[in-house]
Amino acid sequence: MQQKSEKKATGPRRRRRRNRLRTCRTDERTMAQRGISGGKLFITAVYLVAMCRAVPVNDLLDRASQRSDKMHSLSTLLTQEMDSHFPPYGRMQMPRPADCHTSGLLTPNDKEQALQVSESDLMSLARSLLRGWVDPLAVLSTNAITLPHPAKSSISSKIQELQEHSKSLADGLDILSSKMGPAAQAISILPYTGGTDLGQDRVTILNKFNFLLSCLRRDSHKIDSFLKVLRCRAAKLQPELC
Amino acid sequence: YSPPGKPTNINCRSPEKETFTCWWQPGSDGGLPTTYALYYRKEGSEKVFECPDYKTAGKNSCFFSKNVTSIWVNYNITVVATNSMGSTFSNPVDVDVVYIVKPNPPEEVIVNVTEDKDWPFLQVSWKPPKMADTRSGWITLIYEVRLKLENENKWEELSAGQRKNFKIYSLRSGGTYDVQVRCKPDHGFWSEWSPSTRVKVSEYLPRERSMWILIVVFAVFILFISIWMIYMNFHSVKHYLLPPVPGPKIKGIDKQLLKSGKSEDIFSSLVVSNFPPTTSNYEDFLVQYLEVYIPEERELIMDEGKDLQDDGFKTENSTCDNDSGRGSCDSHTLLIDKGGGDKEDGQQSDQEGSQAEADTKSHEEALEDELLACSHENAQIPNISNEKEKVKSCPSLFSPLPQYSLSPVNQPNKPKTGKQHCLSDSLFTPNSLSSYFTQPDPSNTKGFRSNYWECSLDHKQSHLFHPQRAAHEALQAQNDLNAAYVDYMEAPMDVHALNVRPTEYVEVQRVSDEDVVLLHPVPPSHENSCNVSHQTEDYSRVRMVNNNNGLLLLQRDAIEEEKNMCPYEEEMVSRATSTGCRASITPTLQNSATGINTALPILDEMAGSGYVDTATMFGLPTY
Repeated sequence: MQQKSEKKATGPRRRRRRNRLRTCRTDERTMAQRGISGGKLFITAVYLVAMCRAVPVNDLLDRASQRSDKMHSLSTLLTQEMDSHFPPYGRMQMPRPADCHTSGLLTPNDKEQALQVSESDLMSLARSLLRGWVDPLAVLSTNAITLPHPAKSSISSKIQELQEHSKSLADGLDILSSKMGPAAQAISILPYTGGTDLGQDRVTILNKFNFLLSCLRRDSHKIDSFLKVLRCRAAKLQPELC
Repeated sequence: YSPPGKPTNINCRSPEKETFTCWWQPGSDGGLPTTYALYYRKEGSEKVFECPDYKTAGKNSCFFSKNVTSIWVNYNITVVATNSMGSTFSNPVDVDVVYIVKPNPPEEVIVNVTEDKDWPFLQVSWKPPKMADTRSGWITLIYEVRLKLENENKWEELSAGQRKNFKIYSLRSGGTYDVQVRCKPDHGFWSEWSPSTRVKVSEYLPRERSMWILIVVFAVFILFISIWMIYMNFHSVKHYLLPPVPGPKIKGIDKQLLKSGKSEDIFSSLVVSNFPPTTSNYEDFLVQYLEVYIPEERELIMDEGKDLQDDGFKTENSTCDNDSGRGSCDSHTLLIDKGGGDKEDGQQSDQEGSQAEADTKSHEEALEDELLACSHENAQIPNISNEKEKVKSCPSLFSPLPQYSLSPVNQPNKPKTGKQHCLSDSLFTPNSLSSYFTQPDPSNTKGFRSNYWECSLDHKQSHLFHPQRAAHEALQAQNDLNAAYVDYMEAPMDVHALNVRPTEYVEVQRVSDEDVVLLHPVPPSHENSCNVSHQTEDYSRVRMVNNNNGLLLLQRDAIEEEKNMCPYEEEMVSRATSTGCRASITPTLQNSATGINTALPILDEMAGSGYVDTATMFGLPTY
């Protein structure tokens, strides 16, 4: 059976953008993908992006939502991998998810609430969450290497990948938020107070690790959802995507 | 009666991320009516709630409406089974709505068959489930299409991404297809397949089939051509595949005669009337020429000689027809074996390095030797006359004879086949001759090589004994005379043949009772112009071998004289006349003295040298 594979919904948009401004796209991609030389590159990218007026926002949102999707998939895989060797009933003794360090951020609890949130707020929420996980991810990353878990190497690599995605997404969202107004720029600080040390004994360490991963999973889902809502709101020209 | 069993298998699903339903598996009821209750607790609060709706979702289910559903909130759900005996709690389950999304199947699946010239295709389109709010981006769905022919069991699944339409190509002409679609949220579970939509593709003739028709026509065409070609060449093909079986054919025997079965006729055909010959006039038996052709190859070694032999066979083998049964004519191996034996008997193999003296005697003796050898092959009639016949009957004998002479010789040098050694008459003591003529004495190893004539055309003695001299000789047996025409073509290999006389003809007139071979020179019939000087003398008769190692040849005129004047020169003359190897004889004779000294040991080596020094030859009888 042959099938005519059409491009993805974002294809024409991307093509248009490609045709118009290749340099801008390259810079944006660089910014979005590798925030290696963070600040300097960021400023340069922002400057360039500001110059590239023709970059459509919905395209940027599309790419951002793709990245958040990838992040959430990774975190889901992480929890599943942890559970494969970690007895589930151990979770009973875990602190509840309400104790996530990001629980202080008020997020919508259902669809009606979520759809009533403005785009700027949505963007702000997403960015705050993202910013709030930078430190915990670092803690997770350092502890994953010495994790008393059989799949620790895989877990460690996934966490590193998560970190990269998180960073690039944060940079992209910064660019996006600059287009959306000052309300989008506001970020709520969500400090992580767990400390670098997860515990002393194996059970404690594993419990803490698992707990952090579950919090991450939820928060990444929130980010993903917010961005996808934003994407569909911005895709007025192409309603067939949403 | 007992308390109810524990409800198990609590699983919850949300179709649109706004509501969700939980089902459980009830345990045993313990024989009493049992009621089930579901209690849940949201995270961050200790308050326990009971399921608001047990009915909407069916039996053993609990439906959570929008009002009570919160996302990104963990629900701790417990099911309790209660009967009059007691109640049993199930294991609690933690549920977050956003993780249990399983949408409804896509709706309004429409499949259109589009006739696009020759190639129809399917256009599938659908709508997302009603309840899933994809427009606001609350749920993002990706779709999957699958189809199969109605008779088959295997589905073909195709991913459609986020699109809501799809095109399917490469359909079977006239086939009926079933199409289904399903969807999945970005982080959730696949929905069920939509109900099958059946569609029929109209018949169409694909171009591929026309190509097949072309190919078939072409193949048939080629087949016809090949059949026709085979038909035209039927016989050659048949001959190639099924070669004809050769039939036996014996020369002189009539198959029909054999089939007739008359034994007398058969036997009479086998018997030669004139066999064995009874008359004593041998001359009557010489009725045929025996022509032995030896190709002019200068350097012959043993192996090559055999090839020569084959050539000789082929050239003269005109007596045999093209039948496959050629044993009687062509088995040169037969001749070789017999000839070799004879050679060893009657050959003075390694001793003749002497120059080719045109010893008529030597020639005739050589001839006789061959004849004898031939005769030995043919039941050994010690008659020269008979030899002629035998010679006739084995025409190929003579050609390999030169080879044979070489065979028993152990020479470090390469004996050349076809060398004709001119044997000096001195070798032939009357005794030896007679003995030879009567019967080849196997023990007479001193017997000369019958068929060696070697005319050394080289005046240098070194060349005399050079084993590379080769003289090809063709024997001709004249039937009218009891003589063998010796026609030898002398072609010294690497010697500078000053006077090359390719062919000389000497005719053995007859063998007298005195064991004297009467030679009669014959004018050459070949192209080789020989010196006709020898014609003045018909023959020279070897009187005897004198002590001076000279071969006394008597001319016809001076047959009474026994010239012993200068044995060498006379021999030279006589020999030269008969053999024409005049030039070479002289120096040889001059060096004969020295040659004797050197010849003797060399003679052993030079079996094939062909040149017999008279001096050495004369000394031979002493051996």
